[in-house]
Amino acid sequence: MRTAVIKFPGTTCELDVVKALKQVGAEAEVVKFNSLDPDRYDGVVIPGGFSFGDYLRAGAIAANSEAMKGIREMADQGKLVLGICNGFQILVESGLLKGALLPNLNLRFITKWVRIRVRRKDTPFTKDSKDVLFMPIAHAEGRYYLDDEELASRLSVFQYVDERGIPSPQANPNGSILNIAGVTNEAGNVLGLMPHPERASFPSISPDGSRDGLEILRVFGK
Amino acid sequence: MILTLSNTEMEVVRRVLGREPKEAEWKLVDALWSEHCSYKSSKVFLRSLPSTGPNVIMSVEDWQDAGAVDVGDGLALVLKVESHNHPSAIDPFNGAATGVGGILRDIISKGAKPIALLDMIRVGKLDDRGKWLLKNIISGIGFYGNSVGVPVVGGELSFDETYNDNPLVDVACAGIVNKDSIVPSVVREPGLRLVLAGFTGLDGLGGASFASRKLSGMDEIGAVQIADPFAGKIIIDVTLEIAKEVEAIKDLGGGGLAVAVTEMANGLGAVVNLERVPLRFKYLSPEDIIISETQERMLFAVKPEKVESVCAKFREYNYPCEDIGEITAEPKVRFLYNGETVAELPSDLLLSPPLNVWPAERRPRRREPEREVALGEALRAVLTHPDLVSKEWAYSQFDYEVGTSTVVKPGQGDSAVVELPNGKYLALKGDANQDLCAEDAYECGKAIVAEAYRNLATVGARGIALVDHLQFGDPRKPHVYQDFIDAVRGISEASKFFSIPVVGGKVSFHNEDKNGNPIKPTPLVVMAGLVEGKLARNRVEEGDLVLIGETRNELAGTLFSRIFGGGGEVAKTRLMEDLIASNLVIKGINEGKIIWNKDVSKGGLAGALLPILAKGFSVRISSSQVIGTSNILGKMFSESGGRFLVLTGDPQWFMYQAGRMGIQASVIGKVTKDGSKLVLDNEAFPMDKIVENYYSFLEGSL
Repeated sequence: MRTAVIKFPGTTCELDVVKALKQVGAEAEVVKFNSLDPDRYDGVVIPGGFSFGDYLRAGAIAANSEAMKGIREMADQGKLVLGICNGFQILVESGLLKGALLPNLNLRFITKWVRIRVRRKDTPFTKDSKDVLFMPIAHAEGRYYLDDEELASRLSVFQYVDERGIPSPQANPNGSILNIAGVTNEAGNVLGLMPHPERASFPSISPDGSRDGLEILRVFGK
Repeated sequence: MILTLSNTEMEVVRRVLGREPKEAEWKLVDALWSEHCSYKSSKVFLRSLPSTGPNVIMSVEDWQDAGAVDVGDGLALVLKVESHNHPSAIDPFNGAATGVGGILRDIISKGAKPIALLDMIRVGKLDDRGKWLLKNIISGIGFYGNSVGVPVVGGELSFDETYNDNPLVDVACAGIVNKDSIVPSVVREPGLRLVLAGFTGLDGLGGASFASRKLSGMDEIGAVQIADPFAGKIIIDVTLEIAKEVEAIKDLGGGGLAVAVTEMANGLGAVVNLERVPLRFKYLSPEDIIISETQERMLFAVKPEKVESVCAKFREYNYPCEDIGEITAEPKVRFLYNGETVAELPSDLLLSPPLNVWPAERRPRRREPEREVALGEALRAVLTHPDLVSKEWAYSQFDYEVGTSTVVKPGQGDSAVVELPNGKYLALKGDANQDLCAEDAYECGKAIVAEAYRNLATVGARGIALVDHLQFGDPRKPHVYQDFIDAVRGISEASKFFSIPVVGGKVSFHNEDKNGNPIKPTPLVVMAGLVEGKLARNRVEEGDLVLIGETRNELAGTLFSRIFGGGGEVAKTRLMEDLIASNLVIKGINEGKIIWNKDVSKGGLAGALLPILAKGFSVRISSSQVIGTSNILGKMFSESGGRFLVLTGDPQWFMYQAGRMGIQASVIGKVTKDGSKLVLDNEAFPMDKIVENYYSFLEGSL
């Protein structure tokens, strides 16, 4: 799939995402924030980082950029849109995904390898995924919040879980409601998550040699 | 106007010029002749460091820039270490963050992509001020490193009251560049345009001079720079994009424009039109523009026809970029404002301050009796010391995964390991030892190089390059100066022994407490190495414990003596033992004989056992098998070098190989999975509270 990996000023993970997407055979390339032509791509990934310095609020300025108009267009056409970390923050700021991402409960940046349970397999990203994935988070604002808990539960695709696979409070790294690590839109073609699948795509850097991130990225290789 | 120039130095300036310099000219000389920029009290000795070798591509030119070594496949590794001690004492968040920004810009100045950061932090006691300092230092480093997407892959965190007033914040960075694309920092031809990217503001006025004197206790916040990592990210991305189009790159660091222009001209001349400098604050005076240390600025020497295309890349991000002057053949540095001369000084004068060699005299050695401490009490005190606890509270605030190359992560081993673009594994480690250096700076200089060498060996790597950072008190004090000389001698000797070139370094003097007492001498080295064969991935399992090397009863200058006081022997550094023991460990890794290993250093054998106990395993030790001393405190807490603790399923292999290679090794005990217990000669020491403290101390205190 022809996939655009968007680079805003301040984006830091674009090359990592391209490197991981190549593992699954995607035709991925970095596209600068001011030069996205939505018609040229079938999918788009908004990688992590600190777009526009995260001034105002994480993702807020990028959410109102020209590039987001193109991404919204792609989402409306049913193309695949994946937001990772800051990309997830941009997607909720732009309204493409519901909810908000608040500062972590301990008010600190946290890097940590976590386990997430795949709660929904009816999205193109998770159709053939394993049940529990191991990948790292690295963020200061990842506490997912939505005032309608029922809706949040329905939209949530990933949930932080402990080693037994249970969404316990101890497994929740940032205080997200219902341990939510990622959500989708109603149509299922837009997905945002705080953990970084591209950092769990290479056995040499994974603590247990796994590459669970590819479970989510694989769809871009089709 | 606060100047740090001495009367003698001012006389030299007047004599060379034949006139009284203007205020702006004094400031210019003050910045360039500051200890921070000129190395005037250290240069004579730094020249003795071995800086050449077959793999060296670029060594330091007068200790200004990063060095580079060959790592194969046409790639060069660029390495640099720097401190930001004084700014961090006043404004720890910005001080530490700008320390990261500064070192990153040193790396991109060479055209290299930064791939990894290390942070070595030393603070005093954790009272309210200590906590404030540490929290802000760590979050400042994270704020900058995370925002620009360079992983902090390792470091050190030490607590010692010698740093109560003057914390040490050392940051190192490694970068990668094609070796034929390295960009110089100096020009060789006149006629090039000087192009400045970034706004100049009011912050960091006179920062180089500020860093070159003791903290005054007065309001010095104006000398601290403010960090803007978003601007930093843009300047990194664009600088790397245009690196091939420019003739020289220089970061604006200590001494601001004054130092960058003069050093870039490198004996040629320069004319700078200050009214063209993009300002963040409109009413900045020409004098302040010259010495402002606002961050996130770069200076480029560019062929006239390329100025437009270089600046266009910055403007794409709305980032200011202006042609501010040119390199001239006449060896004078001139700063003009709307055509009027603000300062005009000979390049030679600015670049050649009178060098100092201060009187040196060794501190009398104190002779104290050894302390007798009950073993249980000693174990409790040493193993709960903050230097040995888990540092997850700190490193979890850093994005150590960005770049998808961090193979051995913080907390997983004695060295960090990152994967290079050519597939090789690069190991990095920073080491200092203020306890030993306070006793004997010469042995300590050797010891920190040896420790770094051993730390790299624990992952299967051999050192290829070294950078050092020498942190001391006021060099005019004979005891301080003697320690400085001794430390340089020790580092030189050990680097020569291991054939590891010293490709860069920095010196930071005037680190003192508020009563004018120097900090314990704290030279620090950062070593880079390549994994030669197999990479060791530590995991704790049941197995036999082998101690490689001889444990001498040398308790002075250890963590034990920092806690309990008392004398004893000072550790000697026996480099041959470090080399052989490292060879044995690397061989063990490559033949698959090592489950887990660690070098024996801070906290001695007891300290080395702690990570095993913390994983919930029990350790049974037979103390008679610890070779080299009959003293139980020496066996457990001596930090004498040349030793590794190895967990293995094949202890006999180590005994046999050690004998063949010319070193001692002994099977000292067993690791079993039955709760955290330390059993020493049938006496059990409960470890539950120590293990709990290991995980919760920093989180709980901060």
